[in-house]
Amino acid sequence: MTSYSKEVIADLVAGTLPWPQTRRIMSAYKDDDRFFKYVAVLQERVGWKDPILLPVGDHLFICQSGDERVTKCECGHSFGDYRRNWKLKAAIIVRDSEETLREIYPNSDLPDPDWMEIREFICPQCGTLHEVEAAAPGYPIVHDFEPDLEGFYRDWLGKPLEPLNKGD
Amino acid sequence: MLDKPASALRIRERLLESERLMDETGCYDGITELHLRNQDPLKFETLHTKLRAYCVSAREMARRISASPGVREVGEMVVAIYTPEGDAIALSNGIMVHVHTMSRFIKWMIRNGYEENPQIRDGDIFANNDAFIGTVQVPDVMDVVPIFHSGKLVGWAGAVCHELEAGGITPGGDVALAQERFTEGLFVCAEKVGENDELRRDYVIRCERNLRMPIYWVLDEKAKVASCIDMRESVKALIDEIGLDYWMQVSKEFIEEGRRAQLARTRQLTVPGIYRGHTFYGHVTAGKPGYQPLGDPDWLYNIPIEMEITTDGKIIMDFEGTQPWGYHSMNCTPAGMDGGMFVTLTQHMNFEGLVNDGAWMATELKLPHGTWTNPDNEMVATATSWALLLPAYGVFQRLLSRSFIARGFVEEAFVGQVNSPMIEMGGTSQYGTPFGMAHFECAAAGSGALAIKDGLDTAYVGWNPESDMGNIEIWEQNMPMLYIGRSIVPNSGGAGKYRGGCSFLSTWLVSKTDHLRLVTSEHSSRVFDNGGLCGGYPAPTCQKHRAVRDSNIFELAENGAPLAHHTGTNPYRSELEVRLEGEHVTLEGPYITAPHKTGDVFTHSYNGGGGYGDVLERDPVKTAWDVENGFLTRQAAESIFGIVLDEDEEGFPVANLEATKRHRAEMRAKRLARAKPVSEWMAKERERVKAADFAPEVKKMYASAIKLSPRFTGDFSAFWDVDAKSTFGVE
Repeated sequence: MTSYSKEVIADLVAGTLPWPQTRRIMSAYKDDDRFFKYVAVLQERVGWKDPILLPVGDHLFICQSGDERVTKCECGHSFGDYRRNWKLKAAIIVRDSEETLREIYPNSDLPDPDWMEIREFICPQCGTLHEVEAAAPGYPIVHDFEPDLEGFYRDWLGKPLEPLNKGD
Repeated sequence: MLDKPASALRIRERLLESERLMDETGCYDGITELHLRNQDPLKFETLHTKLRAYCVSAREMARRISASPGVREVGEMVVAIYTPEGDAIALSNGIMVHVHTMSRFIKWMIRNGYEENPQIRDGDIFANNDAFIGTVQVPDVMDVVPIFHSGKLVGWAGAVCHELEAGGITPGGDVALAQERFTEGLFVCAEKVGENDELRRDYVIRCERNLRMPIYWVLDEKAKVASCIDMRESVKALIDEIGLDYWMQVSKEFIEEGRRAQLARTRQLTVPGIYRGHTFYGHVTAGKPGYQPLGDPDWLYNIPIEMEITTDGKIIMDFEGTQPWGYHSMNCTPAGMDGGMFVTLTQHMNFEGLVNDGAWMATELKLPHGTWTNPDNEMVATATSWALLLPAYGVFQRLLSRSFIARGFVEEAFVGQVNSPMIEMGGTSQYGTPFGMAHFECAAAGSGALAIKDGLDTAYVGWNPESDMGNIEIWEQNMPMLYIGRSIVPNSGGAGKYRGGCSFLSTWLVSKTDHLRLVTSEHSSRVFDNGGLCGGYPAPTCQKHRAVRDSNIFELAENGAPLAHHTGTNPYRSELEVRLEGEHVTLEGPYITAPHKTGDVFTHSYNGGGGYGDVLERDPVKTAWDVENGFLTRQAAESIFGIVLDEDEEGFPVANLEATKRHRAEMRAKRLARAKPVSEWMAKERERVKAADFAPEVKKMYASAIKLSPRFTGDFSAFWDVDAKSTFGVE
């Protein structure tokens, strides 16, 4: 069975693994023990102790925080219950004018701000830009991912999660 | 040698039985056990490898027969071997999107009684380019031949080439101006075009008399037939070796193995749950010549996708909430949607093992009736369905990638494919003859970034995993234009920790013709039709066309003065305007104008890919390299990525790490100061929604989605706490 050390996974995630080695990993059969090593690498990276249950972005994690499962930024800021859209608790910058779009697209033709805007979803604590939506004005904010966390741990990882408290 | 059937084929009944068995057992053709695989796994694998080798070798041979630079240079061809019921067992590399569309074509003939009339006999050649029967668009012409052994239909060999000229209302393959089926070009609707291994002369004559450049289509036909015969004879020789009964069983086990492998791979690489994303496409044609007033000239499409990964590993993609079909060339049939799914899966999940139709069987597409994904009118045009397919499957790639990131397979995460507008042309060639051609250098757009590195620059499109822009010299042999520039477009990849791949721009001098019609297809306007991921920005929207008519370029050349080789980086004044005199044209959306002639200059820009991650985390050293090599401008490095560059003693950019750190801290603080809580923004935005204070095209988009989709209506109403129907005046 293919398997890599935690150090290799850490370098891969950080984008610092040399390309020939990365290329070999991409071409090889996948390592079935990846998930927990990956989570261990990320757990060491974050500055908090709540166990990571599932990474959902580059710096965004679902974790067990006491009795709750919450979406958390790498800086430790909690966006609340993981089943709700974390974006609704984020800070936002909307680029809906030629002037603000030009800041990101200095030399190209721009979208028409009457047809399209850019929404930047930002951690209100550390300022990390977690997600960018390009949407027509008035388009509802998308809830990117609702993982079947219980099904994943129970059926695919074979390690069922502790049930949440009654009423949750 | 031809093999006459010994008895009635009854393949239609067999197809129905196969589908019934799949319904009953959940396994392909009722294959619940892989007996032959279990008996001798090595023989099993070896046989599939042989089949794949037959396909790859047949395609390579056929490409040498073709006259089309699309097929010869860029590889716009795929071949595959099918079961008698029309399910793909093995395929070549190339435009894999068509492996499953050909499957639909074969099944369509079986279901429609082709056994009785026109009959399916050894040596027959059937062709199709009707997307409602089974292809993506008119230029994707497919040929299949039945494989008989011992008087029995034992399979099919099939081949597809993308034709560079289809004889439609505008020249080229992707007929941009087609607004309904009748202007798309030459249709061949599941037609028997040859017998006894030879194309019928009357069919060839029809092609010769209905196409602007028949040499491409006709020689591609010969190439496809040659590849099919080659595969057929190889399969027959293989059956002689392994026995007919073994073949009939193993070919089905290959597909069931493929289906199981796809489910297993989904369980291995992803996380179950619901994933959502969307993209948009803008079409601007008001005032452009040639468009019939059949619908609104300018429109905006939303393409929302909800993907469910179930715990048994099935991937279900749902397009509910998207827009109705329209009087334009960008509609798509379920066959095209299947094809997009298949080629995306092949690149992202189904890249090893027994690559075949089994993977497709482990997925499900929900295509709402009446939308552009599944028109309820078979008269609609689908000539440029890639315009919407590429952005849509770019979303699919981002959704899949989020699942890879969640699971830890970050090396597979990919921000996705982008639309890549194509140039079609026709008129009088540089040789003084009539011509028509699609320029296929669009098959080398920038790719989306990966989660661990930048995207590919000028090297990717979704429909062909072996993307290639072709050689300039070959293209110049086939059109009355000379390259005076082909260059990377700086900042054309979406910004991010890892930037999207950059696009390129070509600049041509029209030469030796007094009548060159240039038309561009798949050209979105006013919106981003791509996206970023995890904080990365979308790549720039499609660029406008810039051209100069009656330019003074020959005079400049004679005087040794500098010419314009690209449009430059000033969005308000292009290099063409700086360097050339003449009638300057800047045109938004599809380029449809009066013919060009010698001395005109024309530019066309392709698209870059979306970015990944927060821009303020980009590697400063890599960025200095990007600036040095023209992928980013110094201004963008500093103002977007927060990277301060100094110069070394030779004038090359060098990252100033300390200054960068300080600059980024300031940018992050400014970002926080500028941002407001989403709840605050929503409260204000809700008032705008309640008043439906949007551009007419945006309002129409909402009204259309609300009319077609109860789910979109419910979601929209719930999100904004409004009555969506009354807000947008929907009954």
